[in-house]
Amino acid sequence: MKAAEIVQLKEQALDEARRSGTAADVEAVRIKYLSRKGVLPGIMDGLKALSAEERPEAGRRANELRQELTKALDDAKNALQAAERASGQKRFDPTLPGQWRGLGRRHPITQVVEEAIRIFSMLGFTVADGPDIETEYHNFDALNTPADHPSRDTQDTFWLGPGLLLRTQTSPVQIRVMESRKPPVRIIAPGRCYRRDTTDATHSANFHQIEGLYVDRAVSLADLKGDITFFARQMMGADVKVRFRPHFFPFTEPSVEYDFSCHVCRGRGCRVCKQSGWIEISGAGMVNPKVFKTVGYDPETTMGYAFGMGVERIAMIRFGIEDIRHLYDNDVRFLEQFG
Amino acid sequence: MKLPLSWLRDYVEFDLTPRELADRLTFSGTEVEGIETIGGEFKEIVVGEVLAVDKHPNADRLTVCRVNAGSAELTVVCGAPNVRVGVKAPLAGVGTVLPDGTVIKKAKVRGVESFGMLCAEDELGLSKDHSGLMLLPDHARPGQPLSELLPPPETVLELEVTPNRPDCLSVIGMAREIAALMGKPLRIPEIVLPESGEPVERLTGVTIEDNEGCPRYTARILSGVTVGPSPAWMQHRLSCAGVRPINNIVDITNYVMLECGQPLHAFDYELLEGRRIVVRRPRQGESLQTLDGQPRAIDPDMLVIADAGRPVAVAGVMGGAGSEIREATRTVLLESAYFKPQDIRRTSKRLGLSTESSYRFERGIDVGGVEWASRRAAAFMAAHAAATVAPGVVDAWPTRAPTRRVSMRYGRARDLLGIDLDDAGMSRILRSLGFDLTVRDTDCDATVPTFRVDIDQEADLIEEVARVHGLDKVPAPAPAARLVADADDRPTRALLACRAALTGLGLTEIINYSFLSERLLSFVGYGSPEARLVLPNPISTDFAVMRDSLIPQMIETLGRNRSRQAREAGLFELGRVFGMQPDGRPIEDDRLCVGLMGSVGRTGLGKAQAVEPEDVFQWMKGGLEALCRAMQVPTSRKGGLSRPGIAFEEMSAPCFEPGRAVRVFMAGEPIGVLGLVSERVRGEWRVADPMGVMELRMEPLLRHALDVPAAKPVAPYPGVERDVAMVVDDATTHDAVLACMWQVAPPELVDVRLFDIYRGKGLGEGRKSLAYSLTYRSMERTLTDEAANAMHDRIKAALRQDLHADIRES
Repeated sequence: MKAAEIVQLKEQALDEARRSGTAADVEAVRIKYLSRKGVLPGIMDGLKALSAEERPEAGRRANELRQELTKALDDAKNALQAAERASGQKRFDPTLPGQWRGLGRRHPITQVVEEAIRIFSMLGFTVADGPDIETEYHNFDALNTPADHPSRDTQDTFWLGPGLLLRTQTSPVQIRVMESRKPPVRIIAPGRCYRRDTTDATHSANFHQIEGLYVDRAVSLADLKGDITFFARQMMGADVKVRFRPHFFPFTEPSVEYDFSCHVCRGRGCRVCKQSGWIEISGAGMVNPKVFKTVGYDPETTMGYAFGMGVERIAMIRFGIEDIRHLYDNDVRFLEQFG
Repeated sequence: MKLPLSWLRDYVEFDLTPRELADRLTFSGTEVEGIETIGGEFKEIVVGEVLAVDKHPNADRLTVCRVNAGSAELTVVCGAPNVRVGVKAPLAGVGTVLPDGTVIKKAKVRGVESFGMLCAEDELGLSKDHSGLMLLPDHARPGQPLSELLPPPETVLELEVTPNRPDCLSVIGMAREIAALMGKPLRIPEIVLPESGEPVERLTGVTIEDNEGCPRYTARILSGVTVGPSPAWMQHRLSCAGVRPINNIVDITNYVMLECGQPLHAFDYELLEGRRIVVRRPRQGESLQTLDGQPRAIDPDMLVIADAGRPVAVAGVMGGAGSEIREATRTVLLESAYFKPQDIRRTSKRLGLSTESSYRFERGIDVGGVEWASRRAAAFMAAHAAATVAPGVVDAWPTRAPTRRVSMRYGRARDLLGIDLDDAGMSRILRSLGFDLTVRDTDCDATVPTFRVDIDQEADLIEEVARVHGLDKVPAPAPAARLVADADDRPTRALLACRAALTGLGLTEIINYSFLSERLLSFVGYGSPEARLVLPNPISTDFAVMRDSLIPQMIETLGRNRSRQAREAGLFELGRVFGMQPDGRPIEDDRLCVGLMGSVGRTGLGKAQAVEPEDVFQWMKGGLEALCRAMQVPTSRKGGLSRPGIAFEEMSAPCFEPGRAVRVFMAGEPIGVLGLVSERVRGEWRVADPMGVMELRMEPLLRHALDVPAAKPVAPYPGVERDVAMVVDDATTHDAVLACMWQVAPPELVDVRLFDIYRGKGLGEGRKSLAYSLTYRSMERTLTDEAANAMHDRIKAALRQDLHADIRES
């Protein structure tokens, strides 16, 4: 086919493309001219039969045909789609409910525990575990708790048999870890604890604590303050304040209790913090040398701090939960509020 | 403990508001739980004298009174039983604001106008007494401001004293703390004791039979006493401290106890047989009626105070009714003693009787202060009960404990606290608390005063330094991350990965108690009752048994949510279960439990479709497979299929539907169960649609969670899909089909997908049609149709031969 004929054919093809009224028409034009067995491949094949003078011009025209027709077909298709969109025939209702298998939620207690693990991991702490069913030795004796201490009463402790009980605190994990390795020790131990408390808005017979223990050659009360303060800011926000009050625990000396400033009123005083501006979190202190002696560490060359924290307490503050019982009720409407 | 501040000022000066003082105490280790004001200015309240009392016309219990308010006469409606002509009582006129905020208004009470209120003590915030009008003394003048008749308002701190600091259970003890905190001197009262008459040794004797239980016992004799009310200032201080005034003798013993922490007891000397004291263990069959009127059985290992014949007091806990101070008492034997704390604690617990006295003894009182307290009380009795004090004191103190000395290294204190306080500063703190110091170059020896029962090592002294210096002065440096070389966080990471996978599957986490009711356990009927761990002292029958499976509470949780109208729930719990081995050793095992209810496996409009048991079973299984993949549970078959290596074996248990429960195996090891909850069980919560639960042991599930997979190359060539539809016996399982295919499968078979199951007419009874789509793909080349067909034909042939499958050729 000579160049002039090709130009003529191009005009015809472009005209057909422009006159296509439907997507099927457009496709038919494409197949007619551009498909493997269509018109254009035939022209390309026919170029070989032309003379050397005619061939370049015809080839150029054939290429023009392909380019212009391809563009015309695209334009026609776009125009059709635009018209279709404008006519609204294929419009979807974006207000219909979305459909996807949803994600599940972690329990608020778990979220606090996982967050604590994250925070203390940054400082080089790893997680240690211990049994819920403990020996009296690990839960009391080794923690320097006097034999007649009231916390040992059957009124407060779930005894399972002579010398066997449900742990009343996560502190026995301290003992187990120190019995099994040499310093340095840097662990946290989240876990369940049990006390014979009558259940009310702030007490639960089954609750969670996170124990922390850091033992090395030189550890100070200042380190404890710094680390707890860091934890508080990570957990509760950068503007939280922490205060430390002297207290008494048999297994630490000196012992402290620590409070976080109330996140609800920012320390001004409200119902949550009982107008004090502070919320008591838990106890801590420098490991009592008597505990070091019990586990076979040399109290002269060893120092350490230990802390405990009530997980439910932190969860209640963090999420504004007013009754601890909500945490064990497992109502899906409640649980699905937490990410 | 209640600490009235005006009393405190007798011993130490301080220039702080009650709030400031409370903070100082709280931050030195004695938590102030409350600040209370007793009494008030009572500016508008005056003395009212009742002139006339008439019955109220419309109410039996009310009276209509004419009251002289000094400047005027008022009509007041009154409900007090003790109102009568002539009494004087506080009168709150119209407009007065009472301490609780009530404003007195002119009001009609049952039709009679009342122009004020005659007050009881509770209405003025003076006490809790609401038994009748607060009667004022005769010398009160009508119209006189009440404030002129009452002591000024008193501020009282409510203290929580930690169990290691019994020395703080007294006003002087707290004064010592404040003196140390404020750097002020402590003023211990001087005692001037007028003694006369026969020396005490001739009047009485003390025998201690049990020197371990009672290391020290002192007795004084006071004769010629007049029992009557104690002075008003003393009564007021006792009331402010929460102790009810009784009579001068008893009040003095209580006053001195509150003042210095030493419990005292006064016996009526004339009622003591043999006029002497024996401290001993009770004899067989002895009993005692205590002051509260209760007969008490006393055990042989309790300690009693006896006279020559019988017990007259339970040592350190409560006196006996048979020797108590009466109005007629003329001679008093005053006991001041030290009893072993553990004995008193045991006795108090055994008797179920805790008193101000036992509370102090069981924590440990000051053995060195026993005689001082006796002298102090004797001086008060001389002054306020006309007592003649017999010269001397019987002081039985056979074995004195050696003086305690503890040394402290100043450098160690600085290191442990992380503070920069110099040696002199630390010495000053210790001395201010009553420690005698011998200071050397780098350390000091502290002599521990007898009232500090809590100090026996260096760390105890360092704590004293810390709390008096102030914890707020301890810096809180930015944390230093310090790594422990061989620390292992893999178990934690595996657990976190597992929880992330479960929430990713759309399951929501629950946390149930570790104990549950026997009733729920037996009702669900899962687990082995003989291995259960039953709590010997549960708080209630609802929490009586340690759980041996997470399944019962999971079912209960699903059921409870359904009764709260939840249509569906997909839940999981990661928790510990417990049991007892036959030899009595406890077992603990960490488990995962999953529970499904409702249309959880579907989305959107599909949720409306009814849920069949098969659906729930397959959702459970699908979830399990997805979890196993996430936890990298090893695959058990040839590489291509990549199915987790888990297998199932039918099982039955009362909580599952028959035929719809399986035991789950991982590499041949049983790791848990999966099944549909029986109608009997779920019916308890009226759950009519299928409910599925699964429980797995965590250890095998997490074993490979952190394995690092080795990458396998992905084929660069396209695959060829071929379908096969076949009719087989209904009993032929999917697994059997797969096994048959895999026997003859070429390496190029990389995927097999079941896409249709059909049972129905035309297939014949007991037959079903299964349709599979198989993907063949080579790692070396693009498969030709011919090559793929040849492979596919061999598989079809195997299906025909081994499963007698009727292959439908399309």
